[in-house]
Amino acid sequence: MRLLAGTIYASIRSMPAALDISAYPPDLKGRRILDVGCGDGRLTFQYAPTAREVLAFDPDRASIEDALDEQAALRVSNVDFRVGSIEHLPARGAPFDVALFSWSL
Amino acid sequence: MVHALRRAGQRLRPGGSLISIRPHETQLPLVSVITPSRRIPVARLTTPGFDDRQSAADAALERVVAEGRFALNGIRNHRYRTLLDNPSQLRTYLELIIPPRPRFPSGRRAQLLDLWRSSPRGSKIEIAEWIVLTALRRR
Repeated sequence: MRLLAGTIYASIRSMPAALDISAYPPDLKGRRILDVGCGDGRLTFQYAPTAREVLAFDPDRASIEDALDEQAALRVSNVDFRVGSIEHLPARGAPFDVALFSWSL
Repeated sequence: MVHALRRAGQRLRPGGSLISIRPHETQLPLVSVITPSRRIPVARLTTPGFDDRQSAADAALERVVAEGRFALNGIRNHRYRTLLDNPSQLRTYLELIIPPRPRFPSGRRAQLLDLWRSSPRGSKIEIAEWIVLTALRRR
């Protein structure tokens, strides 16, 4: 699967017909965001440029590795991608403004 | 699922938002061939086991609202379209969807390939997907 990365995968990720989450309130600009079930980050990379900070995680290691590859390519610095599930997130810590459950319920 | 929502609630600031993005329950993804002159619907993709997950997700969302942790802020349907250059990209696209992945009904993938072979240059494959955005606000 990961060998398919490259031109096909890149062209799919960069397709213009993307989900516009910003159409739904709240505005994600300048927000601290918890992204639950981020997968390969295809949604994360759409809003991350305007967000203040993002903690994004997914239990699938291969997906997170894809996301990290893309993050390096896009030079996105405000996203912290991690392998794991929200149940492993400490109950206490700096609060988030928005929690996104993308295809993860 | 309800544990995940509760944990998210613990880490959201008061007034913060939780947004659930899920495929629409009844509007299944539609695959069409788009030629320069017309749109030809081929198949609606099915998602085996999807109904149980949807019901569980609905119940979890309702429960955290009933518990008083969140208030329902709104529900909105949204459609988006993806254009692909060829069937190979379609296969990759479907493989990248978080499980349960949509599947072609019996015989429809072959029908798509036949249609694609006879389509004029410049044709595209379109996937139209419907999603539901549910927004909760932490109390």
